[in-house]
Amino acid sequence: MRHLSEEELIALYYGEAAAGSVAASHVHACRECSASYAELKQHMEAIRPAPVPQRGAQYGEEVWQALRPSLVPYESKQRGWHIQMQWKAAGLVAACALLMAVAFIGGRYWERQKSNTAKTDGGVHTQTSKRVVLVVLTDHLDRTERLLVALQHADPGDAAENSQLQSQARELLASNRLYRLSASEAGDPALAAALDRLERVLAEVANDPSLSAVDLDRVRKEMNTEGILFEVRVLLSRTPDLQSGAEHAKGATI
Amino acid sequence: MDGNDHSVVRAVLAGDKEAYGTLVRAHSAAVFRVAFRIIGNDADAEEIVQETFLRGYQRLATFQLRSGFGTWIYRIAVNCALNRIDRPGVEAEYRHGEENDPEQKIVQVAADTADPERSLLSREIGTAHAMAMQRLTPTERTAFVLRHLEDRSTGEIADVLGIAPNAAKQAVFRAIQKLRRELAPLRGNA
Repeated sequence: MRHLSEEELIALYYGEAAAGSVAASHVHACRECSASYAELKQHMEAIRPAPVPQRGAQYGEEVWQALRPSLVPYESKQRGWHIQMQWKAAGLVAACALLMAVAFIGGRYWERQKSNTAKTDGGVHTQTSKRVVLVVLTDHLDRTERLLVALQHADPGDAAENSQLQSQARELLASNRLYRLSASEAGDPALAAALDRLERVLAEVANDPSLSAVDLDRVRKEMNTEGILFEVRVLLSRTPDLQSGAEHAKGATI
Repeated sequence: MDGNDHSVVRAVLAGDKEAYGTLVRAHSAAVFRVAFRIIGNDADAEEIVQETFLRGYQRLATFQLRSGFGTWIYRIAVNCALNRIDRPGVEAEYRHGEENDPEQKIVQVAADTADPERSLLSREIGTAHAMAMQRLTPTERTAFVLRHLEDRSTGEIADVLGIAPNAAKQAVFRAIQKLRRELAPLRGNA
């Protein structure tokens, strides 16, 4: 017959369901386990904690009076939250404006690069790599357009959709990072700096776990997405030769 | 009480700071009791009470109305006490006080007899118990206090300590083993 372990006896002492009636009946039947259990019980009952010092009837009141001055009413916190949200929305608007500026400068930059390349002889390889970058730029603008459309039509109450938008913003952020690196390598500090500023704002938006439906709703209202969409389309139409290239390379990544 | 607590919580979140006083008055004694049992001295326990209710207020927006406020604030109190134990110096300070402050020793033991010999023995036993408790790790001590003195289930202990139920059970088991071993010499004297 297997005797009960100390752990099982302790479980039995505390009346844990897992110990069950099997253990209890074993203790009843087995003299050795019965003696061990009696000893454990005696030891457990002998463990006397230090008595808790009594506190008066006014103790709760004393605690409250000591605590009271350091508490800020929640209403104020709510107001603070609104201000914070307004800043966030302003940040988003600024990010969009910056994005447009970057897209514009980027378009100009790549256009100039393309015309310079066309003038040089034996620039097949350079032209190919530039074309890849330009396709990526088009893809970036497409994705930006899709995000803006999604923001414009986002349902503020749809948490899943909002989460998806955040995820897209994160992807946009990654693309933007590559653009910045490309611009740095191409020796264009102005574009790189603009992309860097955009990256910081996008990072804040994309990685903010508290971006709620209310924020997105506010963004949708305040960022004037229609105007931005129009400008994005204008930028795309300025590079008609890229449109065909982009068609072939849809979904291409850097 | 929970229903009342929930309406009070709603009032606080709506901006009625004074309503929080109702919760503080209702739960201060319970928070003090568990803090004292874990930390072992009343000055620290009182600080934990303050800290607990302050943290509770700051996190009130995260309070889920499906659970009781008492249970929720109790968890915060246990965590505050555990954090306090983890602070370097607190344990040493407590032990120093235990060993050198005769007044403290008297507080720890119920002196229910006029017999000086028995009184001395009782005092020694009380001190030995307190010292044995202090030798447990913070998790073991807290798990044991919650199981043995606060009569909490293994599941509740696991929840409060943020560990698996089996780990909580093992912590209680280890604590009891250590206490039995530490207090064995006293049983010979008794």
